[in-house]
Amino acid sequence: MTEDYEVEFVEREEREARFVVRGITPAFANGIRRAMIADVPTFSVDTVRVVENSSVMFDEQISLRLGLVPLTTPVDEFEIGDEVTLSIDVSGPNTAYSGDIVTSDDLVQPADDNVPIIELKDDQRLEAEADAVLDRGREHAKHQGGVAVGYRHLQRVEVVGDKEEFAKEEPEILRGVIEDDGELVATETFDNDLTNRYPGKEVEVHDIPNAFVFHVETDGSFSVDELVTAAIDSLHGRATELKEAVQL
Amino acid sequence: MELRVIEKEDTMLAIEIAGEDHTFMNVLKGALLETDGVDAATYDMNPEQSGGQTDPVLTIKTEENVDALDALEAGTQRVIDKSESLQAAYDAA
Amino acid sequence: MSYKCSRCKRDVTLDEYGGVRCPYCGHRVLLKERSRDVKEVGVE
Repeated sequence: MTEDYEVEFVEREEREARFVVRGITPAFANGIRRAMIADVPTFSVDTVRVVENSSVMFDEQISLRLGLVPLTTPVDEFEIGDEVTLSIDVSGPNTAYSGDIVTSDDLVQPADDNVPIIELKDDQRLEAEADAVLDRGREHAKHQGGVAVGYRHLQRVEVVGDKEEFAKEEPEILRGVIEDDGELVATETFDNDLTNRYPGKEVEVHDIPNAFVFHVETDGSFSVDELVTAAIDSLHGRATELKEAVQL
Repeated sequence: MELRVIEKEDTMLAIEIAGEDHTFMNVLKGALLETDGVDAATYDMNPEQSGGQTDPVLTIKTEENVDALDALEAGTQRVIDKSESLQAAYDAA
Repeated sequence: MSYKCSRCKRDVTLDEYGGVRCPYCGHRVLLKERSRDVKEVGVE
């Protein structure tokens, strides 16, 4: 293989992770980031049939809120454009939450059950049926699976000496992850200020070429691992398609 | 993905890749620039508001004894290798 | 077309001759009820 990458996690949870990738070009890193945001499809409510809505909000407002509820999206089970029907029926006095949404397919259901949709007073009622459709983030932001996806350069910190005796005490703010003596350290551990870690020292900070710290957070539609895998797969698929088209 | 060759010489190729955007084109361009025998690779894309040509047009110039179409194939293979390699590294972590 | 009288809260049906007026209490302010049809809304 032409490339050798090295991946190392700084934080790893189901919906949020931070990891360092070494040996990746900026172009490829950005391609992965963009693919995670706009090309990995998720289910989202697209059409709503309102049977009864005596709440204080218009049907359109309720529909928009339903559309913004993240729905679990199993990878490789569905194709773009596939639909799943959901329904909701809540009577006041009560608050309608995403957890009140009933699904016709257990694979696709609200990722969280505590998203408020509308507060209903006495005698108010919301009954609706909705079609969720699988589509990409580039069509509509409600289909974005990755919600806070980005990367920064990994930075190397080197202590080069002591500060002068009467040197100004200025904070040295860093955000992200630094490499210090071969160890990965999140900047939050020293309150993002290098002078806390090295008081009275002269330090130098350099970007490490081709080493990027990715921060990936999903809306709950799928796990971070699934999102990253699907994003890489999306680029892989397009390259394969182009290669085959060129060979003809 | 629909391809339309705009200009083709032995060491030069201009091709429209319909339906793609910066996400893939920049990765491909980056990979092409790393590919042996490629002198220059770039792509041009106009925003939707501009009207006219909006699909990306990829232009490749290669060294004398390298066919531009072969270079494009090598470039796509490079993207495939990169993604397989990254996936392997991610799974290993 | 079904309406609701804003004073006596009774359901009112208007015909073309009666004018806008509640036949039970004579009140002239009528509220239009939401249609019982299912309404389809696209999510933008």
